[in-house]
Amino acid sequence: MADLLELDDICAGYGRIEALSGVSLRVPEGGIVALLGANGAGKTTTLNVVSGIVAPTRGEVRLAGRSLRGLGSDAIVAAGISQVPEGREIFRDMSVHENLVIGAHARRDKAGIARDIEVMTGYFPILAKRFRQMAGTMSGGEQQMLLIARALMARPKLLLLDEPSLGLSPLLVQQIFDIIVRLHRDEKLTLLIVEQNAAVALAVSDYAYILENGEVVAKGPSAVLAADDSLRAAYLGA
Amino acid sequence: MNTEIVFLFLQQGIASGLVTGSVYALLALALVIVFRTTDVANFAEGEFYMAAAYLAFFLIALVGLPIWAAAPAMVVGIAVAAGLFQRVVLRRVAAARGVSVNLVIATLGLSYVLKGFVRATGFGDTPRSFPSVVPDGSVTLGQASLSYLDLAILGAALAVMAAFFAVFNLTRTGRAMRAVGMNRRAAQLVGINLGRTERLVWIFAGGISAVAAILIAPKLLMTAEMGGVVTLAFAAAIVGGFASLPGAVVGGFIIGIAENLVGLFVSTRAINVAPFVIIMLVLIFKPQGLFGGRLRVRKV
Ligand SMILES: Nc1ncnc2c1ncn2[C@@H]1O[C@H](COP(=O)(O)OP(=O)(O)OP(=O)(O)O)[C@@H](O)[C@H]1O
Ligand SMILES: [Mg+2]
Repeated sequence: MADLLELDDICAGYGRIEALSGVSLRVPEGGIVALLGANGAGKTTTLNVVSGIVAPTRGEVRLAGRSLRGLGSDAIVAAGISQVPEGREIFRDMSVHENLVIGAHARRDKAGIARDIEVMTGYFPILAKRFRQMAGTMSGGEQQMLLIARALMARPKLLLLDEPSLGLSPLLVQQIFDIIVRLHRDEKLTLLIVEQNAAVALAVSDYAYILENGEVVAKGPSAVLAADDSLRAAYLGA
Repeated sequence: MNTEIVFLFLQQGIASGLVTGSVYALLALALVIVFRTTDVANFAEGEFYMAAAYLAFFLIALVGLPIWAAAPAMVVGIAVAAGLFQRVVLRRVAAARGVSVNLVIATLGLSYVLKGFVRATGFGDTPRSFPSVVPDGSVTLGQASLSYLDLAILGAALAVMAAFFAVFNLTRTGRAMRAVGMNRRAAQLVGINLGRTERLVWIFAGGISAVAAILIAPKLLMTAEMGGVVTLAFAAAIVGGFASLPGAVVGGFIIGIAENLVGLFVSTRAINVAPFVIIMLVLIFKPQGLFGGRLRVRKV
């Protein structure tokens, strides 16, 4: 299948610190790709380059063959890329409902937005129960679900997930990944998942990249990587 | 002092305090919306207000516009100027070195530029009075007496606040403004344009300051230093918690009423002290301000 997202030789950093030194990767349309690596490897930076929050110093990002160069983060959301950020970046003093509405900020179709809120509460029933609650008062797992639902409210073609399992119990991790897989199947979403929990990420993805010190050090079909013990020992600490 | 006079003074102090307080509330609102969304304490707020009064004066006295045309033209002019300041100056300062302190210093610079500009025209040297459109006369409420102008000031200020609250809480634009204030990164990720939203906030702040100026100008003498009144708006904002819109409004009324009560019960010379006593009391008993909610530690 054609590639929905392409990163070509991306370099990026923060001031004098170089965080990515020539990262290239592909996410085929309709696929699930995992991006693995230890702390500080550059995973979040990669997603933020795609989302237009960090400007690359070299290289190009393309969505469905079209370069995203020069587009602001708002234009990138409108073009069909949503990110579920790490670290519970919700709007704490807005209700669950308003967090969902603001997820659709780039859209103008009121009826469609109302319908999608229904769809989201179908996937995440807990959000319906907490509808009027201030988002900041919800548990970590509930906030993670709200973040995923908020990102989906933009009706993205490509969903970027940054460590969705972080800080959650194994049971909740399983639940969230089950929903992610269902979303992928039912909503025809293409997914790029950043994880440190390599076992879970390799189990759901078709293809994976391993990042170290801002460079891709290994890549391959997820099943192959999962079976390679030496690779797992070297880069994934598992 | 017998009880009858105490009651009379109380009523008059509260009534007059609501009028001056409504102007402080508008200025505090302008300060707080900018601070909430952009983390910048706007030290040019008083000079927006001063420039607005002079712009109205120029349009009326020199261009010869009738006040009903000059007032809206002036409000739009100041709002646009505030937006330009964000676009041309603040955006560059932020891009060069995006620390809050530098942005605050930029607003301080603007305040000097505006004061210097008004002085350079020569009109800022002598105090000038501003014509009132409201007919003379007064009404009595209980035992308090307020002029028509006072009522017009209070009514217009309340209307502007209500309109802004509606925009802020009920519209898509207002939601974007609140979102940027709550979590900039998350706001970017849901597709909000940070620059445009911040610019809009500055435009609103400029417009609100300009309204405050046109309302109070007929009661004051205009000088290049009249922006000093912003100290009271800062006091109001601090009393309210500095990040809360209702807090700014309530803080404005509290400061206005406190000034008037001190003037009546103590001495007019003690008026200047009143806001600082209130600030100290608030900081001692509720350090986060009346509407401050939880205390948050900020990374600077
Ligand atoms: N805002 C920033 N300012 C300066 N350096 C940064 C910033 N964000 C990240 N870095 C640096 O860039 C490098 C890559 O960071 P990044 O956040 O992309 O890693 P990561 O793979 O997402 O790590 P983690 O698993 O801990 O989230 C690190 O060395 C980090 O210290
Ligand atoms: Mg990360």
